[in-house]
Amino acid sequence: MVFRPALLVGALSIALGAGLPLRGASAEDIVLGASVQLTGPVANTGRYYRDAYQIAVDKINAAGGVKAGGKTYKLALKVYDNQSDVNLSVRQYTQLVTQDKVNLLLGPFASNFALADSAVSEKYRIPMVQGGGASDQIFARNFKYIFGTLAPASDYFGSTIDMMKALKSPPKSVALLYADDAFDVSVADGTRPKLKQAGFNTVMDERYSSNASDFNSLLSQIKAKGVDVVLVAGHETEILNFVRQAKSLAVAPKMYSFTVGVPSEDFRRALGRDADYAFGMTAWLPQASLKDRWFGDAQQFAREYKAKFGYDPDYHAASGVADVETLAQAIENADSIDANKVRDAIAKTRFDSLYGPIAFGANGQINLPQVVIQVQGGQVAEIYSAKGFVQTPHYPMPAWNAR
Amino acid sequence: MDLLAQVLANGVLLGGLYAVMALGLALAWGVLNIVNLAHGSFIMLGGYAAWYLFTWLHIDPFLGLPLTAAMMFALGYALQRGVLNLIVRAPMFNTLLLTFGLDVVLSYLAQIVFSADFRTINPPYAGSQLNLGAVVLPVARLGAFTAAIVLTVGMWLFLLHTRIGRAIRATAQNLNAARLYGVEPRHLYALTFAIGCALAGASGALYGTVSQINPYIGATLTAKSFAIAIIGGLDNPLGVLVGGLFLGLIESLTALYIGPTWSDVASFGILVLVLIVRPTGLLGRTA
Repeated sequence: MVFRPALLVGALSIALGAGLPLRGASAEDIVLGASVQLTGPVANTGRYYRDAYQIAVDKINAAGGVKAGGKTYKLALKVYDNQSDVNLSVRQYTQLVTQDKVNLLLGPFASNFALADSAVSEKYRIPMVQGGGASDQIFARNFKYIFGTLAPASDYFGSTIDMMKALKSPPKSVALLYADDAFDVSVADGTRPKLKQAGFNTVMDERYSSNASDFNSLLSQIKAKGVDVVLVAGHETEILNFVRQAKSLAVAPKMYSFTVGVPSEDFRRALGRDADYAFGMTAWLPQASLKDRWFGDAQQFAREYKAKFGYDPDYHAASGVADVETLAQAIENADSIDANKVRDAIAKTRFDSLYGPIAFGANGQINLPQVVIQVQGGQVAEIYSAKGFVQTPHYPMPAWNAR
Repeated sequence: MDLLAQVLANGVLLGGLYAVMALGLALAWGVLNIVNLAHGSFIMLGGYAAWYLFTWLHIDPFLGLPLTAAMMFALGYALQRGVLNLIVRAPMFNTLLLTFGLDVVLSYLAQIVFSADFRTINPPYAGSQLNLGAVVLPVARLGAFTAAIVLTVGMWLFLLHTRIGRAIRATAQNLNAARLYGVEPRHLYALTFAIGCALAGASGALYGTVSQINPYIGATLTAKSFAIAIIGGLDNPLGVLVGGLFLGLIESLTALYIGPTWSDVASFGILVLVLIVRPTGLLGRTA
């Protein structure tokens, strides 16, 4: 049974026309619309997108705005709070398009949201560039108006598996655990054949319910089977519970890796020293080598972001900024603010950004390699990239009482 | 065999925590006839109270239990007198609406005040464990389980043997007769609801020690407490304990033998079964 307080409040806030006001939007503004999780269970990841959109729009406007058709436009943002409710977010995107008449769309966070919301952009033929949904399902429907700046979910563990093979004493058995939602199922579907191909023995392949808070049965099985590597595709709350319960049951595989949490500051803060040794992946690190037209480079961006919002950006934030920049770049390339022309320009866009090189495949999704990272001494360390090892991994993970 | 023993132990420990979460809900439901949909949010608030006590004042979450419970008691008393008492004679649907609204208000206030960041109460022993042969017993869970047993049995003795406890039971059985014997229902209702809140707060502190707290954990915890209260029955705290243990075991065994996605199916399936076969709960009196 799931109570949905969000539904009722959502209906009310729509009725009252709530939402963030357009900041001095004028006829010369290009309005970008989005529905983001500002409240509700995933609000602490949703905020990356709101903040990223805001900082990118401010920065582009400060640099003079966007030029198209001989005119200069400012960007304006219209963001609704979908309260972590998929149904509400679909209604809000419909409202953004049909009533608020926004010019172009930015995405929500999370694959199940992007999966549902992209039906709206497709129906009304307004391009949506989204940086919050990585599931391959979003891009498997031949939709023309959805573009994604997160690397494909099916490849999230790709670099991790490469690293596992390259370790001095490679692990043998693997447990694959994943939540039952669009993103995590895509991760598992992509990981399974890769593990097989790499010659690992997958001894557990278990799906669990999203919001699960008890992992004791799974952990006990991991211990009983002496699994070397645990790969978990899930949500941050589940990963927190998983790590805490692993410690309390003294379950220490040689390594574990998680699709979420590891790059995020609040994850490491919530776990404290227990976050150490956790592997994860990210398609983005704030490196000065990533040059950007508006922010200079990724390092400068990270500094500015932290100064403005008080917390470190991770790849979600960088991906959100890339979405706004993609739209700005595409408008200039198309030399028009017509939604269809911008759509065609997005499909052909190629530019370097603080997030990495932006270019979309025929299905609309970006392809970026995932760097393997690990929490070492409370800090994120870059461990393994396409070129091989960068820093030495702490492997195997010591027993909990030997840390 | 070791695995089964371990999973059984996990289930029992989990069940104890479940029981103390559901205790307050069952009490308010049984006596006041209020199905408190904000119950999970009270658990959440108790968790935050314990988190601040631990992080700012370095008060151990277990030693801080009375303090957390006292804070939630005060909040519960005020809420009942000020808000819920308005609808105490109204049809059930109104109480559902009001407590539902309260749940929304509390969780969104919590996000404004505490932010949506995850918090964990992490005393040094949170990750340590006792070994009983091949079975590992996490200390924090064992502590939560012990606290749950103490609270449940304490609650049972309180209802059975104290003056206030008897008044609470009398009011639940027959309000008019209780009034004739001098029970003042306004105070008693608030007291009962406050005790329910205090129990929720205490369970929040325990929950934060073994899991994590954020403003939105309430809804699932309410649903779980609801199921336990139904399975165990509303008559008696021991029923709730049985319901909690039962649910904890079912969930753990389902996750082991059928698959973790089926845990919820199993627990709510049991709920439906109990409603059909024993509508008053496993330990409830049959009508």
